[in-house]
Amino acid sequence: MYAIAAAEIRMLFRNRTVALSALVVPVAFAAVFIVLDAYGSTGALASVVVVTIMAMGTYVTATTTLAARRQALWLKRLRGGTVTDAGVLAGLVGPVAAVTLLQLAVVLTVLAVRDAPAQAGLVVVALLATEAMFVGLALATSAVTSSGEHAQYTTLPLFFAALGASVWFQLTGVDEWIWVKRVLPGGSTAELVQGAWDGGDLSAAPALVGISLAWAVVGAVAGLRAFRWEPRH
Amino acid sequence: MTNSTPATAPTPGRATASGPAADVVVEARGLGVSYAGHEAVRGVDLTVRRGELFALLGTNGAGKTTTLEVLEGHRRPTRGTVRVLGGDPADRRTVRRRVGTMLQDSGLAPELTVRESVRLAGALSGRRDDADRLVGLVGLAARAGTRVAQLSGGERRRVDFAMAVWGTPELVFLDEPTTGLDPAARDDLWAAVATLREDGVTFVLTTHYLEEAERHADRIALMHDGTIRREGTVAELSGDRGSTLSFVPPVPLDELPLPVARTENDLVVVETTDLQGDLGTLTAWAASRGVPLDRLATGTRGLDEVFRELSQEAPRR
Repeated sequence: MYAIAAAEIRMLFRNRTVALSALVVPVAFAAVFIVLDAYGSTGALASVVVVTIMAMGTYVTATTTLAARRQALWLKRLRGGTVTDAGVLAGLVGPVAAVTLLQLAVVLTVLAVRDAPAQAGLVVVALLATEAMFVGLALATSAVTSSGEHAQYTTLPLFFAALGASVWFQLTGVDEWIWVKRVLPGGSTAELVQGAWDGGDLSAAPALVGISLAWAVVGAVAGLRAFRWEPRH
Repeated sequence: MTNSTPATAPTPGRATASGPAADVVVEARGLGVSYAGHEAVRGVDLTVRRGELFALLGTNGAGKTTTLEVLEGHRRPTRGTVRVLGGDPADRRTVRRRVGTMLQDSGLAPELTVRESVRLAGALSGRRDDADRLVGLVGLAARAGTRVAQLSGGERRRVDFAMAVWGTPELVFLDEPTTGLDPAARDDLWAAVATLREDGVTFVLTTHYLEEAERHADRIALMHDGTIRREGTVAELSGDRGSTLSFVPPVPLDELPLPVARTENDLVVVETTDLQGDLGTLTAWAASRGVPLDRLATGTRGLDEVFRELSQEAPRR
């Protein structure tokens, strides 16, 4: 698994298109949000940044990677050795998830210098639960994605849903349609990160973490059932 | 490629059991594979013994690639049993580490170099070896640091081969190994195979080049319409089918002294069971008419004839 991950990291940095979309674009988006500073509190800004970077850096990139590797018959080759299916998937997706967490560590540190989070531990929990959610959703989306190019389209619905849910929460808070916002991918993350950062009522925190983890499980189960290791002939 | 055996070449792991059972490396009984409403493989029985090179050939759509995928552990059979090295071919922990596979169409990562690709395959194989030794074995030492994206198709096949024989496995599946290779590279690959066979490696081969199977295989199985129709050594399969005379016809076909069986591009082919006699008749006729017999050649009616007969056989249901 580690050999696969090491190879993926090499390939990530050697492919300019992938490197741009996985490394530069998410952070650039986050930088725009920070510069515009349109969300009032640091917690609100952090929540939108987290969802944006993870949706782009983990969800879109992991979906694209899995679909492209399948199309190139690379998955078939990796599966022909002694590594389990879980190990192959972990080796492919692990570097993507790790890079995203690293990006978030840098960006959130910058925000923390401006205004430290009230409950940093809970912010970390939110990050990990959201990462698991987007990995599961990437697995599910990649099952219906035929190529890296096709991923540009298949990831749009969930990407915009996540981004939209986080922005919707920032604009309208907990007063309207709260459970709809929470259930949408990204909505629970937005509420949890902002609440953990700015301080406030965190009684819903277990449920919010649970929603992200539920999405992770739903995505993983659906993805593994439909996942193909070779292109459909 | 070079075919010298380095002193540091690792010794493959060997089964320690003795007796006839230990000689059987691959065994399939009643193998059947169906998908999408189509029965691609129907009741295949085959046995591959340790140390031999077994060729699985077949007409187009015969089911040989599907059969091979089951033996490699990439596909589950719908019915029947298959054992590879005494175990389930899909068992990655114990069986796969003793098996190397050169797939017909497996991909390579374009961003990785030759050396990195071979080393990665080694890490996945569970066996130990040296990437530079294998890169040299397949004649790519000067390209070890070149990215796969810059390799030709033939060079990529060589990388495939190096990845398959990493750590000198006990059993190697070669699925159309020489497709895309020039004649010199093909010779080098077969020389490398010969060296590995001296180490006791067993090979299962599929190829569309019949002459390769005729030259290198110990036993051959011919598939058609999902079943094995013929099996045996080259001599057993070819039997006494006579010979052929081929040449560029100097006159219209109906003026030739011998009946023409078929044409192949600009050559006519005469089938004969009396090669010496018919060759004498033909050359005497040409001399008397003062016409040339350009590209005159003789040949044996071998596997290609068996293939032609096979493709005419009716399906067995």
